[in-house]
Amino acid sequence: MSTSPISEGLTGSKILVTGVTGFVGQAVLERLLADVPDAGLVLLVRAQGGLSGRDRVESLLAGPVFNTLRDRVGAPALRSLLDERVEVIEADVADGPPALPPDLGIVFHCAATVSFDPPIDQGFRANVVGTVNLYRAIRESLPHVVHVSTAYVAGVARGIVAEEPLQHQVDWRVELDAADEARRTVEAASRRPELLDGFLRRAAREHSRAGPQTVADDAERRRRRWVDRRLVEYGRARAQTLGWPDVYALTKALGERVAEEAARDGVPVSIVRPSIVESALRHPYPGWIEGFKMAEPIILAYGRGNIPEFPGIPEGIVDLIPVDLVVNAMLAVAATRPEREPRYYHVCSGARNPLRYRELFEHVRSYFRANPLTQRARGEIRVPDWRFPGRASVERMMRAGERALGAADRVVRRLPRSSRVRGWVRRLDRERGRLDFVRKYADLYGAYTEAEVIYTDERIVELWESLSAEDRERFPFDAGAIDWRHYIEEVHCPAVTRTLRFERPARPEARVEVRPRENGVLAVFDLEGTVVASNVVESFLWVRLADLEPDRWPAAIVSLARSMPRYLAAERRDRGAFLRSFYRRYEGASLVSLHRLVDDVVAPFILRRVSPGAVRRIREHRAAGHRTVLVTGALEPFVSPLRPLFDEVVAARVVVDDDGRLTGYLERPPLVGEARAPWLRRYAARLGADLQASHAYADSHSDLPLLTTVGNPAAVNPDVALYRVARSRGWPVEEWPQAEGTPRVLLPAGAAR
Amino acid sequence: MTRPGFVLEVDERTPPLLVHRGEGFGVQRFPLGTRVVYPPDSLPALPDVRGSIRHAIMNPLGSEPLPELLRPGMRLTIAFDDISLPLPPMNPPDVRQLVLEEVLELAARRGVEDVELLVANSLHRRMTGKEIEAVVGERVFRSFWPESLRNFDAEDPGGLTYIGQTDKGEDVEISRRAAESDLLVYVNINLVAMDGGHKSVPVGLGSYRSLRHHHNVNTMLHSRSYMDPPSSALHGSAARMGRLLADHLRIFTIETTLNNETFPREFGFLNRREWEWSLRDQAGYLAAKKANDAAPGRIRREVFRRIRAPYGVTGVHAGETEAVHEQTLANVHRQQKVEVSGQSDIMVVGLPYICPYNVNSIMNPILVMCLGLGYFFNMYVGRPLVRPGGALILCHPVPWEFHTVHHPSYVDFFEEVLAETTDPSQIESKFEEQYATDPWYVHLYRNSHAYHGVHPFYMWYWGAHALDHLGDVIFVGGDRRAVRRMGFRAASTFADALEMARERVGSSPTITYLHSPPLALAEVR
Repeated sequence: MSTSPISEGLTGSKILVTGVTGFVGQAVLERLLADVPDAGLVLLVRAQGGLSGRDRVESLLAGPVFNTLRDRVGAPALRSLLDERVEVIEADVADGPPALPPDLGIVFHCAATVSFDPPIDQGFRANVVGTVNLYRAIRESLPHVVHVSTAYVAGVARGIVAEEPLQHQVDWRVELDAADEARRTVEAASRRPELLDGFLRRAAREHSRAGPQTVADDAERRRRRWVDRRLVEYGRARAQTLGWPDVYALTKALGERVAEEAARDGVPVSIVRPSIVESALRHPYPGWIEGFKMAEPIILAYGRGNIPEFPGIPEGIVDLIPVDLVVNAMLAVAATRPEREPRYYHVCSGARNPLRYRELFEHVRSYFRANPLTQRARGEIRVPDWRFPGRASVERMMRAGERALGAADRVVRRLPRSSRVRGWVRRLDRERGRLDFVRKYADLYGAYTEAEVIYTDERIVELWESLSAEDRERFPFDAGAIDWRHYIEEVHCPAVTRTLRFERPARPEARVEVRPRENGVLAVFDLEGTVVASNVVESFLWVRLADLEPDRWPAAIVSLARSMPRYLAAERRDRGAFLRSFYRRYEGASLVSLHRLVDDVVAPFILRRVSPGAVRRIREHRAAGHRTVLVTGALEPFVSPLRPLFDEVVAARVVVDDDGRLTGYLERPPLVGEARAPWLRRYAARLGADLQASHAYADSHSDLPLLTTVGNPAAVNPDVALYRVARSRGWPVEEWPQAEGTPRVLLPAGAAR
Repeated sequence: MTRPGFVLEVDERTPPLLVHRGEGFGVQRFPLGTRVVYPPDSLPALPDVRGSIRHAIMNPLGSEPLPELLRPGMRLTIAFDDISLPLPPMNPPDVRQLVLEEVLELAARRGVEDVELLVANSLHRRMTGKEIEAVVGERVFRSFWPESLRNFDAEDPGGLTYIGQTDKGEDVEISRRAAESDLLVYVNINLVAMDGGHKSVPVGLGSYRSLRHHHNVNTMLHSRSYMDPPSSALHGSAARMGRLLADHLRIFTIETTLNNETFPREFGFLNRREWEWSLRDQAGYLAAKKANDAAPGRIRREVFRRIRAPYGVTGVHAGETEAVHEQTLANVHRQQKVEVSGQSDIMVVGLPYICPYNVNSIMNPILVMCLGLGYFFNMYVGRPLVRPGGALILCHPVPWEFHTVHHPSYVDFFEEVLAETTDPSQIESKFEEQYATDPWYVHLYRNSHAYHGVHPFYMWYWGAHALDHLGDVIFVGGDRRAVRRMGFRAASTFADALEMARERVGSSPTITYLHSPPLALAEVR
C-alpha cells in the first residue's frame, strides 16, 4: 500500500469518530481502516436495541460498506484489523461528556440526528447537547475536530453563501433551555382537563363498545401523540422565526456556535458543511448507500408511479453531493491542522456544477423510462410527467385528495361489513398511504427543492488544488467533475432501486394454522357475526313469531321495529348496555317454553345462519385436540343447537323467578368487549392452558381485547376498524360466509311445528 | 287406450323442444336426426282408490288378508316412505294417507292398541311435523303425533336390532320397534322401478351398518342399471336382506303406483308433446317462462317448491313383498317403459328442479350430479342410452348453493373431499368412514333435520356407474366453479356443449334426448 500526504498526515494519530453507525460515519470508518494504516481508532457508540456498542461496530464490518475491503483482504483480516486498531467506547454523548483517551489527535464528529422534524427537545439533545458534551470531553487533549455540519445551516438565506461563520445572534443556551422548557410546558398543557376530555371523547367514539379500559388506553395514546406533535410544531415554529427552515438546520447551526466557542478555548476546529449527501460515486463502490433518507424515498415512490406532482422550482438548484466526496474532503481537511480560527468548508456541487431541479427530475424519469420498475403480474410501471405547477397548486391537489379520502373514510366506516367494503378499505388505505407520503415529503423537503441559494466552495477548491496528483487520484472530492447524467442514471438510481428488482415471492397472506396438540390449547370463538350470521334481535324475532299466529306478526314486528333506533344507539355506545336493555323483552317468558321453542322451531334457523366454514374450523380445532370455547352475549337457550361443537359455552343467563319465568334481568354482566380478556386469562390459568398457543376468532373491533390475549388471533368477517388492525398486525383475515342459497330473511313460516 | 312411449326423430318440422333447467326451463332446437325419447301418455287413474286399497288388502298376494293378521294385544308397526317420494309431492290426499287410514281403521276394528307409525327415512333427514302431516293427513297426524308417529332414527343406539347376516355375509340391522313387532306393514309409493320390494324395509328402516353392504361403489358399478332390479347388485343385496328379515318378522307390503300426471294445470305443457301444444299450452309456456325468468331466485324457488303433482293412482297391491313387487314393477313399466333401438354417442337430459333429496330444500351441486349421472343415466333397462365412452350433456345451472340445515355434510364433502379427488373408490376408502361416524353429523342427523354424514357419499356412488361408463360430462349453463370442482365441464350454450362433446365422440355423433320428466324408462335393445 503506497502512502500519500493525506494518509501520511493522519498516520500515527489516534482518531475518534462519533456517529460511526450513520451514513457518513460508516464511510469515514471504512476509509480510515482501508487507507490510513497505523492510525488507532476510537469509536464512540451507544448501545441500542440490546446490542452493545461493540456488537454494532462488528455488524458494520459485516455490512455492505466493507464489501470492497472484505473482498480485498478477506473477512478474518478485517476482523483482526478491528481487534488491533479499534477501541470502542460505549456511551451516549448526549447523556454527558464521555471519558475519552487523553492522546487523541483527530476527531471526526459525525453524530447528529438527521430527522428534519423531531420534537424540539429531541432535536436539541442530539445536535446541541451531544456536541457540547463532546467538546467538553476533549477540553484537555485538544485534538483537531473535523465537525460535520450542513450547508443548510445558512437557513432561509437566498443568493450566495460563503464558507465563513454564520451571521446570527441566537444564543444556543437560551434556545436549549427553551426547548427543555417546551417539553415541560407541553406535557403540563396536555394534562389540562379540557384537552383530556377531548381525547377521552374521541377515544370513546371509536372504542366505547370495547369498554372503558380500551377507551382509557386510547385516550392516553392520543395524549402522547398530541404532545409529540405539539413539540414538533414548537420546533418548526421556533426554527422558522429564527430564520431556519426546520429544527435540524437550526440545531446544526447552533452546534457550529458550540464548536466556535471551543475553538476560542484552543480546540482546533474545521467545520465541514456538505449539502445533500447521496450514494457513493466510486468508493467503496459506485452506488453504495446506507438507509434511504433523503431523495431516495421520493425516487422510489416516483418509480412506482405514486407521485403525480411534487412542489419545487424547476430551475432551483438541488445541491447533491456523493458521500465519498464528502469523506475524502473530510480526510483532506483533517490532514491539515488549522491555526487558531476555525475553518469552514462547503462540500457542495451547486456553485460550480449546478444540478437544476428539472434536470434531476429528467434524469430520474429517463432512468425509469429505460429501466421501469415492474409490478407483480401487472407489467412495467409508467412514471408520470411532472409539470411543476408550483407549491400552491400542488398544495391544492393534496388538500382536495385529503378531503376526498376523509369523506370516503367516513362513509366506509359506516357501511355494513362485507368483503366488498373491506376491498374498498384496502384501496382507500393504499391511496391514503400515497397521499400521506407525498404530504410528508412535500412538507419536509419543500425548502430544499425550492432553495434559491448557492454555496460557494472556494476554500475546498483551494484545498483540492493543493493536493498532490496521487492524493487527487486516491481521495477525489472535486464536485465540478461530476457528470450528473452518469451519476443519477447509472449510479444512484440503480443503487436505490436495486432491492426492488429482485423477483420477490408475493407476501403470503397470513393464515391460521391449526397444529395438533393434546393439551393446553384453547380455540375461542365469538358467536354473532363470526360463527353465526345472526344476532340477538333476529333470534328474538324468531321466537316471538313462532309463538304467534301469522296474522299477529305485523304487530310484533312493528313493536320491535319501533324500539330499534333506541337499541341501535345503545348498541353503538355499549354492547353490554344494549344487551341488558334488550333482554328486558323476555320478561315473563317461561324458561321451559323458551327452550322448547328454540329446540323445535328456532334451532333450524340458527343452524341455517351458521357458516359452514366456521363449523369446519371449530371441528378442525377439536380434531387437533384443542379445547373449543364459545363466548357470547347471546342468551343460553339460543346457543343450544351449537352446544355439541364446544367444550365450553359461556352465554348470557337471565334470572328466573320461582315460577320458572324469566325476569328480564341478567344473572351476571354480559361477557362482551374487554370483559372477555380477563375472563379468558382466568379461564386459561384455571385450566393451565397456554394462551400463546391458543386461538381466538372474532368479527368486531370491540373484540380486540379478546384477540390480543391469545397468540393466534384471527379476524373473521371483520368490521372496518378490526380489519385495519388485523392488516397492520399481520393477523389472518377469514371470510366465513353463510352458505350460498341462504335467504336474507328467514321467518318461521311453515317450516316446522 | 293410452298412447305408448315413442322415439321421435327430429326433422325439419320438429318444433324446438322443451328442456328442464333446474328452477327454470326453455325450448331448444335439436340437430336433425336427434332421437327424442318420450314416455307413454299418462295412464288412466283408478276411479276409486279407497276401494282399490280395500280390495288389495282383503285379497292380498301370497298372504292372508290383512284383517286375519291383526289381533288384540299385538304389536303393530306401520312404516311408510318418506319425503323423497313422490316427486313432486302429490296433491292431497297423498295415497299413503289413504292406505294408512284404511289400515288403521282395520286395526282399530280388530282391537289392536299398540300401533306405531314410523317414517322409513333411513339416513335421510328427519321430516318436520308439517311435512309428515302432509303425507299422513290431518286425522292420522292428530291421533299419533308425536308419541306414536315419528321418524326412524338410524343412530339411536337403543333403537336398533341386529338381525343377523345374509348368506353373503351382509349385516342386517333395522329399527328395533319394527323388528320386535308382530306385524310390520309397509306402505310405499313406487315412483320408479328402483323403489319398493325388498328395498323398502331393509333400507328404509336400516342403519349405516346394514346399508354399507349395498350402498357402495362396487355394488353400484354392478347395478346396470339400478332401475332394473334383476340386473342390479343393489337390489340383489337388498333382496337377500329382505328374505332374511322375512324369516324373523312378518311383513305385509302395500305398494302403490302413480301415473305420469307430474305437473299441475298451470304447467300442463310440461306433460305434453310440443307439437301437440294447444294455444293454451303455448300461452302457458310463454307466461310461465317469462314470469319465471323475471322473478328473483327466492321467489322462483318458492314457486317451484309449491308445485304439487296431480298424480293419479294406477295400482295398489298388497301381501307378500316379492309377489306384490312383481305386479308393481309391471305397473311402473306400463307407465314409463319406452323401447329404444341401439345406443347413441351423446345423451342429453334437462335436469328438473327436484330430486329425492331436496324437497323443501336446495338442490346442491352434488344432488345435481346424482340426479343426472345417477337417476337419469340409469333410467334404462338393458344397455345405457349412450355408448361406452360417449358423452352426457346435462342442462342445469348447478348453482353453488347448499342448505346448511339439511345438507351440512354435503358442504364439507364439496369443500374437502371433492377438492381432493372425484374418484368414487378413492373417496370411499379415504373419507367415508370418517364422515359416517362423525359425532357432529350424527348429532345433526338425530336432533336437527340433516341428512346423515355419509349421505353425500351415497349420492356420489350413485353416479359411479355413469362415471365409469361415460367419456365426457358437460353441463349446459352450469356454474363453472361448481362444475369443475366435480370434475366435469361447463358450456355456455347447448351448441357449445355439442361442439365440446364432438371432440370426444367424433364429428357426426348420434344424439338421444331423454325428454323427461314425466319419467321415461328406456329399454335399449
